[in-house]
Amino acid sequence: MVIASVLYFIGPCALSAAPAKQASTATKWNVLVDRISPGETNIDPAFQQAIYENLIEELGKTTRFNQIFRSGDRKANEAPELLILKTEVQKYQAGSETRRAVTTITGATKLRVDSKLCTKEGQVVFQSQVDGNVRFLGGNLRATHNLARHVAKKLKDATLPNISSETRDRSSDKSEVAHLGKQ
Amino acid sequence: MNLLVKKRMSRWMNPIRSLRELGIHWSAALILFATWQGSLLAQSSNKANSVTSVSARHVIGLEGVRKNAQGQLTLANDTLKFQKNGEAAVEIKTVSITSVSTGQQDKQVGGIPVALGRAATPFGGGRAIALFSHKKYDVLTLEYQDKDGGLHGAVFQVAKGQSQSIQNELAANGVRVVEAQAKQAKSGTEDKSENK
Repeated sequence: MVIASVLYFIGPCALSAAPAKQASTATKWNVLVDRISPGETNIDPAFQQAIYENLIEELGKTTRFNQIFRSGDRKANEAPELLILKTEVQKYQAGSETRRAVTTITGATKLRVDSKLCTKEGQVVFQSQVDGNVRFLGGNLRATHNLARHVAKKLKDATLPNISSETRDRSSDKSEVAHLGKQ
Repeated sequence: MNLLVKKRMSRWMNPIRSLRELGIHWSAALILFATWQGSLLAQSSNKANSVTSVSARHVIGLEGVRKNAQGQLTLANDTLKFQKNGEAAVEIKTVSITSVSTGQQDKQVGGIPVALGRAATPFGGGRAIALFSHKKYDVLTLEYQDKDGGLHGAVFQVAKGQSQSIQNELAANGVRVVEAQAKQAKSGTEDKSENK
């Protein structure tokens, strides 16, 4: 009797939760993390790769995006609502852990990147400059982890265009093009 | 004495016998030559199937391996393997590696406990300790593609001077080498010239 009553109350809730989850995943954007551009800096390749890998890891933690694709992934071509995260290094200062330990005030590793979220068509929907530094404790590559965390936080808090409106705009554009073609 | 002289004389006098002896010498030389050639061939074939193995710490990027895992990085038979002690190896085919680069970093030894100890040392003694408690290491960076074409970047930390052997082996397999240090030095001189 007790079990039946519990099932009576919990059952519909559990059933209603599943479609809600499906709906939430359906309305999320997919994101493709593009290769890190060194820009004008002489950034070490290890830092470049560490930023890229940390970005993928940290973006996965945010749950803001439905799927996260790597640069060059063929599966991304079939993803319907895709944003591309482009990252360009703007400032890179190679630090030294020993200098940090000895002097405290010098030897910081500093990174600054320009992060852009673009649509497939190249329209920028979000842009921000983000810093990642190591000033006291930790290795130099920790700067890349800090940077990726900050980028992920900014993207989590960012207001992205609604998927339905975006797709509607795109479909209306297509219909306009078709209309013009007919004329 | 006489016997020896007689023996030598008879050798000179009997050319057929001396030729037979010469033939024996030639065959011995041929056997020696063949053995030497065989060893050379074996060496070259070993070179073709050369195995380069270094102890490495995985920093980031290798799929299926946790960060800071210590293991053995082995390059053999067109495959780069990272094997953590007693666990299955993670393999990357060298054809899927698009670029390799090496660099050098330094770190303080001992981690957090030693860092706290240094901070607790009075009269700035911790700074003096920090001056001598650092170690240089090599950073090996690989860029490779997975089966879907997705880009991966793996970073390994190896002992000083050991990354070069892996880089050379990969370069011999046709992997592009990214010269990080040269680029840095070049841009450094450019910066200086700009300042002037």
